[in-house]
Amino acid sequence: MSPLLDVRDLRVEFATRHGTVTALDGVSLRLEPGETLGVVGESGCGKSITALAIMGLIPMPPGRIAGGSIRLDGEELIGAPERRLRQLRGRDIGMIFQEPMTSLNPVFRVGDQIAEAILLHQDVSRDEARRRALDLLRTVGVPDPGQRIDAYPHELSGGLRQRVMIAIAISCQPRLLIADEPTTALDVTVQAQIFDLIRDIQDRLGVAVILITHDMGAIAEMADRVAVMYAGRVVEEGPADAILDSPAHPYTRGLIGCIPAIDPALAALDRLPPLAEIPGVVPPLHLLGQGCAFADRCIEAVDICRKVAPPLTGRGHAVACHLHAAAAASEES
Amino acid sequence: MDTVVYVARRLFYGLMLMFFVVVLNFVLIRLAPGDPAEVIAGEMGGTTQEILADIRATYGLDKPVATQLAIYLGQVAHGDLGKSFFFDQPVARLIGTRIGATILLVLTAQFLSILIGVVMGVFAARKPNGVVSALVAVFSTLGYALPVFWTGIMLIIVFASWLPIFPVEGMRSARLEGGGFVHVLDVLHHLVLPAVTLAIIFLAQYARLARTSMIEVLGADYIRTARAKGVPERRVVFHHALRNAVLPILTVAGLQFGNLISGALLVETVFNWPGMGTLAFDSILRRDYPTVMGILIIGAAMVVVANILTDLGYRLADPRIRTEGGRR
Ligand SMILES: Nc1ncnc2c1ncn2[C@@H]1O[C@H](COP(=O)(O)OP(=O)(O)OP(=O)(O)O)[C@@H](O)[C@H]1O
Ligand SMILES: [Mg+2]
Repeated sequence: MSPLLDVRDLRVEFATRHGTVTALDGVSLRLEPGETLGVVGESGCGKSITALAIMGLIPMPPGRIAGGSIRLDGEELIGAPERRLRQLRGRDIGMIFQEPMTSLNPVFRVGDQIAEAILLHQDVSRDEARRRALDLLRTVGVPDPGQRIDAYPHELSGGLRQRVMIAIAISCQPRLLIADEPTTALDVTVQAQIFDLIRDIQDRLGVAVILITHDMGAIAEMADRVAVMYAGRVVEEGPADAILDSPAHPYTRGLIGCIPAIDPALAALDRLPPLAEIPGVVPPLHLLGQGCAFADRCIEAVDICRKVAPPLTGRGHAVACHLHAAAAASEES
Repeated sequence: MDTVVYVARRLFYGLMLMFFVVVLNFVLIRLAPGDPAEVIAGEMGGTTQEILADIRATYGLDKPVATQLAIYLGQVAHGDLGKSFFFDQPVARLIGTRIGATILLVLTAQFLSILIGVVMGVFAARKPNGVVSALVAVFSTLGYALPVFWTGIMLIIVFASWLPIFPVEGMRSARLEGGGFVHVLDVLHHLVLPAVTLAIIFLAQYARLARTSMIEVLGADYIRTARAKGVPERRVVFHHALRNAVLPILTVAGLQFGNLISGALLVETVFNWPGMGTLAFDSILRRDYPTVMGILIIGAAMVVVANILTDLGYRLADPRIRTEGGRR
């Protein structure tokens, strides 16, 4: 099967006060139709920028796509005319954002905001669009949709607003749904509901999902594959089981190393604690040097780690780490 | 809060405000130097003591100031603004012949400055480092710094003397053949220069505000959502962003109404526009206290009403402060 989404060697730069910084440094991702790719990594590692690049929504300036390729069903999106990107956005790719409180326009009724997406991409009447908006509200589990369709965003709770956002994102039955930390701003109980909803929608529509989250529990439950990002690069990528059970990169091990995966109390709650704390911070992008960006925080780092950035190697389960590469090599010989 | 209750409360505060306006102005004017009785007598030609006493009795000027104030308040409460010292006419009727011209001037200037200001602001916001942005910046400083009468006189020199496109002064041509429509056009023709003069003062401010507000709104999350839906950029700007960006402009427009009316007073005298401003100017020179007082009261009332209307407009534009009752 040809991949639905094929991102290769994507480089995104930003012009800042400190000069040009590289926010994405050769990111590659593949996604098959109907598959779920979990993307994890600390704040600022480039998860949202990756998502926005796929949408063609990197603010330019200050942003710039400095290289690479993004193919949707074989069609190159980088450099595609804005008209074409506009067609794809909302129709073939839907996106849910982190901030449900501010992601809906405060002066328009939520029903109209859903209907707008339908009217933009489909040749239907206003009445039909409204009817579909009502159906969508029902689909995403908004109680009393007949009333809520005429509500303004401020009249809804955060969880309901996120449901409305999901309704907008799936209004045209996209092939790809990007959920950028869809639950971070929500209450714990609501978080689980939103994840359930996304999974339910995926089952029903067969849509492929890129799930960006800090919630390793959600990753464990939903993701087929996982990409771990660090300072603008993918440092480990592979099947979710492989990565969760035997993380290879020291950073990934740090992230998920201390998750008490079998803690019955947490298992009962159907979720796991958020990412573990790793000592140190992600270096600011303008201070990134030659070597592995994680080297300064890595307890196992050796000389070469500070000199040469390790490439992402390995088929199936790929890792960008000199130590891992060396270990794998010695195992083979 | 229910809109009716809200308006009632605003009206009540407005009336309180008007009461203080009347008392304060009455006292201030009586404290000003110059005896109105002597002025009136001067107009009539003679100044004997009997005539002065007679005048004082006629206009109630012989009573203590507190009594005069009480009487005046009573009259105003009944809608009676007294009688002009200069014209043999009730002040209310005098103002009635002038108020239309002032409202026409003020509303036109307000409309022009908001419309052009917002358009400039939006274009400046689209390209924060572009030409329009620079123009807005220069314009904001100039529009603020230049005195109204200077702008007015410059416009007269350029567009009425050098290029005789617009009339120099007044509101109507002396002799005009034709039906009602011709007269409307004639008034509009006369309106252009004074309205532009008045608009220029406020235009810069609206442009700057619209620019700031638009830049902020264009960075909002819901704008990103609109783009992610595939909304065309033009619609993003003029539908999704503008509706939000005009909210602070509405607020300022309401607050500016008082300044607009006092600005109109100056502009009217420059262009000899037959509104309340020229009447106020002449009445001050004539020490025609009842007329001056009447104009102040009506001016204050106009500001109060304008503010209530602005607030109602704001409530329509921003659902977040509308009543909780839902759709009507
Ligand atoms: N407009 C911008 N100008 C300059 N740098 C930017 C801009 N937007 C993003 N960046 C940089 O790009 C990097 C990646 O940001 P991104 O928003 O993708 O992080 P993230 O992984 O989504 O983090 P979070 O978990 O906090 O959402 C950050 O280091 C940030 O500083
Ligand atoms: Mg992010």
